Amino acid sequence: MRADASFAVPVKLWALLCVFVGVNLGNDVLLTCIMTGWAFLYLLLQQHFRLAASYGCFYLVLALLLYGIRFHGLHMPIFSEFYVLMFWKLSPIFMMSWDLITTPPGMLSAFFTRIHMPTSVILGLLVLFRFFPTMRAELRSVGRSMKNRGLTRTGQLLAHPIRSMEYVMTPFLLRTLQLADQLSVSAVARGAEHPGARGSYYEKKIKLREYIVAAAWTLATTSYLILERGMI
Amino acid sequence: MEEFMKEIKKWSVKDVITTVLLSAVLIVIQLLVNMVCMVNDFVSMVLSVGIAAFLCAPVYMLMVSRIGKRFVTLIYMTLLGAIFFLMGNWFLLPYFIVVGFLCEAILWKQGSCDHSNRMTASWTVASFLYNGINLLPIWFFWDTYYDFAISSGMEQSYIESYVRYYTAYSWIAFILLFTTLMGFLGCMLGRHLIHRHFKKAGVL
Repeated sequence: MRADASFAVPVKLWALLCVFVGVNLGNDVLLTCIMTGWAFLYLLLQQHFRLAASYGCFYLVLALLLYGIRFHGLHMPIFSEFYVLMFWKLSPIFMMSWDLITTPPGMLSAFFTRIHMPTSVILGLLVLFRFFPTMRAELRSVGRSMKNRGLTRTGQLLAHPIRSMEYVMTPFLLRTLQLADQLSVSAVARGAEHPGARGSYYEKKIKLREYIVAAAWTLATTSYLILERGMI
Repeated sequence: MEEFMKEIKKWSVKDVITTVLLSAVLIVIQLLVNMVCMVNDFVSMVLSVGIAAFLCAPVYMLMVSRIGKRFVTLIYMTLLGAIFFLMGNWFLLPYFIVVGFLCEAILWKQGSCDHSNRMTASWTVASFLYNGINLLPIWFFWDTYYDFAISSGMEQSYIESYVRYYTAYSWIAFILLFTTLMGFLGCMLGRHLIHRHFKKAGVL
């Protein structure tokens, strides 16, 4: 059901481009909440309820922090105000990017192949898109191993910073290299080095509702920029 | 360009995947260090670039020696520039491409990727030039940067400290020296790690 609800890759790319243009050409950081609202609607249309709910909670926290900063002079010792505003401003871009990078790799590579993108670039993009979920799991695993050996105590970290860095970096980088090898084997086994034209089971035709969504994004971004400039 | 395409054709799938993965690791480290260091103006403006250069050096050395082909640094620098471009600092994309070419010139001689001294020189130069992210705006793109800073919500006090540190020659000299030294020391650590762990593990 969800796979059907998910939009085709060109529509997702177009939506991301619209959001990127809207956020970067707009002058008022606070008004990007309009774009964020549309991005939430876009996720809900694709039935990405979990992503919309989790990002919604994060956005709410950002809104509260922003309120504290603007009206009560809140100053945080660790998380700079600059980052609150940056995350607020870039939220619609993050949401659309996350939607794009969690698209099944088969669908992405089918689209990129169709537009004759070189295989090495497609592979690079797919690896980049899968980077965050994979690396998060690897770092967690390194952290657990260090904790089991009592290497995460504050005293230990402060007394031996270089050694602690070595304890984190060595297994993490070794695992990254192993992952690169596994991914390469997998890609080669699926014919990544084959020079001929490649097809895919995942190729998806753009439906009428997706054309409407793409047109809606164009209209939404244009009207946002006109409205935003009119308000300033 | 022809030379570039010829070299790129020699790349295998494994090389592409390793370059992209390790470049992403490098970029994430750099952005995380920048983010954490924003706690304090002095740490952010004077020390953060050096800390990032130190932490990234072992990853860079591992990446270059593992792939052992030309244009690894150029691809990494282009990706880094693209991230800054997406964040609104468009001028850093061409800048990092130029930095990438300079590092490639240091590593141009065949076999340089197995040569620790050349890799150290390349990263030390890259660390020195990484200061461009802070110095270029104030020297050449002040209006663009100021508009970006204000629209991103940077405080006036932050901008004032930025101007104070990056217009005083003594501070600029200290920052450049500190960053270059940290990049160099990071390479020493990288050499130690490669020799002690990665070669023994058989990944190089």
